[in-house]
Amino acid sequence: MNPLMSLQDLRVEFDTRHGRVTALSGVSLDVMPGETLGIVGESGCGKSITALAMMGLIPNPPGHLTEGTITFDGEDITRAPARRMRQLRGGEIAMIFQEPMTSLNPVFTVGDQIAESILLHQDISRAEADKQVVELLETVGIPEPAARARTYPHQLSGGMRQRVMIAMAISCRPKLLIADEPTTALDVTVQAQIFDLMRDIQQKFGVAIVLITHDMGAIAEMTDRVAVMYAGRVIEQGLSDQILDDPLHPYTRGLIGCIPVLGRAAASADRLPPLAEIPGVVPPLHLLGKGCAFADRCALADDRCRADRPLLSAAGHGHPVACHHAGVPA
Amino acid sequence: MTDTPAPRIEAVSPLREAWQQFLRNKPAVAGLVLLVAIVAFVLYGRYFVDADPYRIVWAPLSAPGANEAVPLGTDFLGRDMLVLLLKGGAPTIAVGLSAALLTVIIGISVGALAGYFGGWIDDLLMRFTEFFQVLPALLFAMVLVTLFAPSLVTISFAIGIVSWPATARLTRAEFLRIRELEYVTAARSIGAGNQRIIWKVILPNALPPLIVSAALTVGVAILFEAGLSFLGLGDPNTISWGLMIGQNRSFLLEAWWPVAIPGMAIFLTVFAVSLVGDGLNDAFNPKLRSR
Repeated sequence: MNPLMSLQDLRVEFDTRHGRVTALSGVSLDVMPGETLGIVGESGCGKSITALAMMGLIPNPPGHLTEGTITFDGEDITRAPARRMRQLRGGEIAMIFQEPMTSLNPVFTVGDQIAESILLHQDISRAEADKQVVELLETVGIPEPAARARTYPHQLSGGMRQRVMIAMAISCRPKLLIADEPTTALDVTVQAQIFDLMRDIQQKFGVAIVLITHDMGAIAEMTDRVAVMYAGRVIEQGLSDQILDDPLHPYTRGLIGCIPVLGRAAASADRLPPLAEIPGVVPPLHLLGKGCAFADRCALADDRCRADRPLLSAAGHGHPVACHHAGVPA
Repeated sequence: MTDTPAPRIEAVSPLREAWQQFLRNKPAVAGLVLLVAIVAFVLYGRYFVDADPYRIVWAPLSAPGANEAVPLGTDFLGRDMLVLLLKGGAPTIAVGLSAALLTVIIGISVGALAGYFGGWIDDLLMRFTEFFQVLPALLFAMVLVTLFAPSLVTISFAIGIVSWPATARLTRAEFLRIRELEYVTAARSIGAGNQRIIWKVILPNALPPLIVSAALTVGVAILFEAGLSFLGLGDPNTISWGLMIGQNRSFLLEAWWPVAIPGMAIFLTVFAVSLVGDGLNDAFNPKLRSR
């Protein structure tokens, strides 16, 4: 099967006060039709830039896509004209955002906004679009959809707004839905509802989902495959079960160690294990040396790690990982 | 489950909310009432007092109340001040409105393009704006009016040309702020192009401060027109409040009313416009809004 969306050796650079920095470097990802791919990592790892690159929305200036290709459905869209990208955006590739509070336009009703995204891509009358809006709101589980369509974003709760965003995203039956931390700003209970909704929608419409998150729990729950990113590179990639059961990169292990133990497991332990943390923060992009970007925070790091950047390779392991000490217990 | 009916879902548009906030602001409502009264006086006054404003009706410079037939007295030519005041109102307000409209159109267009696109477009447009900003406004307007014959159109045009930079800078600032917001990226992600994002996504959100500034510009433009007329650069063929002041100013020591009465009319109009503008400012300011 051919991938729906494919990034090949993508390199994205940004002009900053510190000169030109590399935000993405050699990122290669495939999204298969109908699957859910997770992209996981801390803030500043390049997850969102990857999502924006898939949409062709890298802000330029200051961003530059300098190397690599982006293919969607067999079509090279790396340097597709603006017109073509506008057709794809919202039509074939849709996106939902982190902050449902701010990703809806406050001065228009939610119905207007969904209708707008329909009318941008389909040649139908406003009345027909309005009818579709009500159906869409019903699909995403908003009660009294006809009345809600006439309300303004500030009248809705965060969960409802995220549902509206999803309704807008699926309004034109896209093949790919990019969800950039769709539940980060929501209550835990609402998070579960939104994930349920996304799964329903995936089953109903067969849409492929790219789920960007820093939450390993969400990865476990939602994704088929996962790519772990660190400092603008993919450092480990594989089936979600593989990665969760047998993480090879110390960073991935750290992320998994950050999931708190709850319920029975916690109650039966006589003493709770301290919640793991990864010391330090993602280094600023302009300070990346030639060694492994994770070396400063890694318990396994040695001189080789600091001098020589490990490349992504599946040799000797079950799945691709970029670490000189892959699989070595910490 | 109880049997209580679900609360009705009512749409509260941001504009309606601002209007309700406006109505709670007493000075602003007073200003609006005053403004409506002035406009009604100017538009419909002629149904009560209809006469040729150029006709000489009594001795020049008669004081108000000296003769029942001319309640507001006469000017230096012996024309009825009340009739003049009525006839002069419409051009004064028309110049104010059209100059403000021109200001807003130029200011928003330049500011929106500069703020949205940034980069060299921003640099170019802002240098252009600064050029107009550093010109002495009154002098430049005088030159324009003198170059092209003084008529209501050229005067409105001159006022508009010298007042737009402030609106442009304000619009640019709003665009710079709003273009970074997530709903703009969201709009782009559903396939909206630049034109749509500028005019249909960002502009509606940038409007509140622009509406306020436009309202205040009307007041400034009326004063500007009065200033030009006072200096003798008004349209000599059209009676306006400023022209009345300008023509009668040499007789100020003998008679105060031909100057004071139109002066008062200008003051009240600008005062009312400012109250409304401030009221709009408060109504659109979410920090002052009581939820």
